[in-house]
Amino acid sequence: MAFTIVTQGTFTQPATAVSQNIPLPSGADYFVTTNLTQMALQPSTGVVVRGEWYGGGLTAINDGIRWKKNGTTPFGLQIDTFANAVSPNSASNGFTYVNSFPQPGPAVVGTAITNANPAVVTMTNTFSEGDVVQLFNTTGMLQIAGMAFTISSVSGSGFTLLGLNASGFATAATAVTARKINKMMPVEPRFLYVTGITQATQGVVTVSEAHNYVVGQKIEFSIPGSFGMVQLNNYYLPQNAPPVITAVTTYTFTINVNTTNFTAFAFPLSTQSPVAALFATVASAGQSTQFNPITGVQTGYNFQYVPFHSGNFVPYMYLPAGAQSPGGAANDVIVYQAYKMETGTINSPIPS
Amino acid sequence: MTFPSGITNINNMAPELPVQASEDLLSTPMFNLIHSFGVDLHHAESYVGKTTRMSRFERLSTEGGQLDGSGIDPASEVPIRTDIDSTMEIYAKSIVTNEQVVLYENSKTLTKFTALLGQWLREKEDLLMRDLFSSSVSYINATGGLNGDQPSNISLNDVNNIENILLGNDARSMLTSLDATRMIGTAGVRDAFIALANTNLCADFQKVQGVLLKSAYPSQEGIRPEEYCSISRFRFFVSSKAAKTPGISLKGNTVYTIPMFGLEAAAKIEQNNYTAVIGYRPPWVVSSVAQNSQLYAKFAIARAITNQNWISGLNVTTFQPS
Repeated sequence: MAFTIVTQGTFTQPATAVSQNIPLPSGADYFVTTNLTQMALQPSTGVVVRGEWYGGGLTAINDGIRWKKNGTTPFGLQIDTFANAVSPNSASNGFTYVNSFPQPGPAVVGTAITNANPAVVTMTNTFSEGDVVQLFNTTGMLQIAGMAFTISSVSGSGFTLLGLNASGFATAATAVTARKINKMMPVEPRFLYVTGITQATQGVVTVSEAHNYVVGQKIEFSIPGSFGMVQLNNYYLPQNAPPVITAVTTYTFTINVNTTNFTAFAFPLSTQSPVAALFATVASAGQSTQFNPITGVQTGYNFQYVPFHSGNFVPYMYLPAGAQSPGGAANDVIVYQAYKMETGTINSPIPS
Repeated sequence: MTFPSGITNINNMAPELPVQASEDLLSTPMFNLIHSFGVDLHHAESYVGKTTRMSRFERLSTEGGQLDGSGIDPASEVPIRTDIDSTMEIYAKSIVTNEQVVLYENSKTLTKFTALLGQWLREKEDLLMRDLFSSSVSYINATGGLNGDQPSNISLNDVNNIENILLGNDARSMLTSLDATRMIGTAGVRDAFIALANTNLCADFQKVQGVLLKSAYPSQEGIRPEEYCSISRFRFFVSSKAAKTPGISLKGNTVYTIPMFGLEAAAKIEQNNYTAVIGYRPPWVVSSVAQNSQLYAKFAIARAITNQNWISGLNVTTFQPS
């Protein structure tokens, strides 16, 4: 068994293409993707129909060999690398082999965050929809410096923080730095940053990231005095029982605690940083399975999300989405194969 | 015919064998394994699924309860049970060795590589527990330090704040029971909570008001080498692999996460008969011509935060940027 396929498969991109992680338990010496959909079409110039990656450090991060149709008749192939930006080519995202939990990405500097609902960041960036970024150096808005946010409405010049209502902040931020971090923590369910809690019969909690908490999940808050509503901290609650989630949306969840008479939740002033204790957070505290015999609905259990488990399988191959990337564009069918030489590496081959 | 003349030395007469091995191997670096200190150990039985459930009954309400003599009973109460679940996961590592490694140049590779795999097994387990603490616990940013960063460097006020949180949540300190003493060793300091920190913070610990360095403990008996100091009611254990995230503080410096907890805050669940499996596959199994053999190690582990109220901690930066 000299050189063998260690894993292979296909996936079809949804209507909005998303980047893919392909688990590679044994690593790989060679990885190839083929875009079956585009291969059969007459695509626009530059559309990538095949990508290749070599292990052993021969392929740089976010690179690889791309096969793309040249767009002229008869259709031919042009082969270069994803990183090739020499005119008339332009660089596109390629393969990234990840063999340890991803560290924060490079710092990207922006110029503003609006004090609006939702807050909008001005920043020249290459982030993707749904990425999670950690913000810091948020001049004028230091009360969020260090928090992680899921970003949306991403353009090359900025993105929106749907998990942050900054309309109550005294000033907008005049500077910001962002680092992309992994969407999943090493262990899930993870702690989350709280950005708002309503005063209501059943309080509604807003968090900074698109969360995967579920109905029936129990949670515990950690709210410093600088944020107000400390009554949600466990030692204030009757019986010290953890609150239970009763409804969820992407960025919010409702809890079974009447917060009407609690102190209002509010961020401290930017000028209080670094003295004010940050942040308000919430973490998973188990669950309580409930069965309603009338509706026949069971809540409070979800094997996929609630039990503590690893957030990411490592190692894996990251396939970014895009017409000029190995992950392909909307509705593309991609086939991938990973090969490995059993007794040698690409850097020191041993016949076997 | 001429002959070379002069003194025969190692310059004109190269050694027949260029090197000799010293009698012992040098030490393999190994980081402090601290992340299972004070963690409850549970066991999962075989054949009953990969999810382990740990359950806790919450306190009954202490409101009301007085009888007024009218004969009317007080309302009964339904106890609340909280279930904490954890998924069992398996990790493995192997080393495949060609017969020529032994035949020509190395001896006792089985012994040496088995030791390496054993070390991997415990290091991997430690890092998995570290990841649990860094991912699934709420932390408070330190604010009492003077480095002007957010979070700041660690201070006594920050440590006391965490103690207040744990005491307010009725967390039990770690060294009040004989079992705990056996688990992490003890010394002549009062009953304490545990804190797990990165070795990069040691210089800052020394500057915290009221710090008691390990060397100053009244008794040195049974102190573990991983322990560095005691601050307030916490005993700090350090490891070079303890949690840190580079470049995310207010000023873009590394943020270190220090889990601080009492009894029954977290759990490690071992699968029965799968705690530490080390095995050997002989050459006639691995290779069709019996040339490669394989050593492997694997283990199963599940982990969980079992009581979020009995664990808290600090995010800190260092006084000197790191």
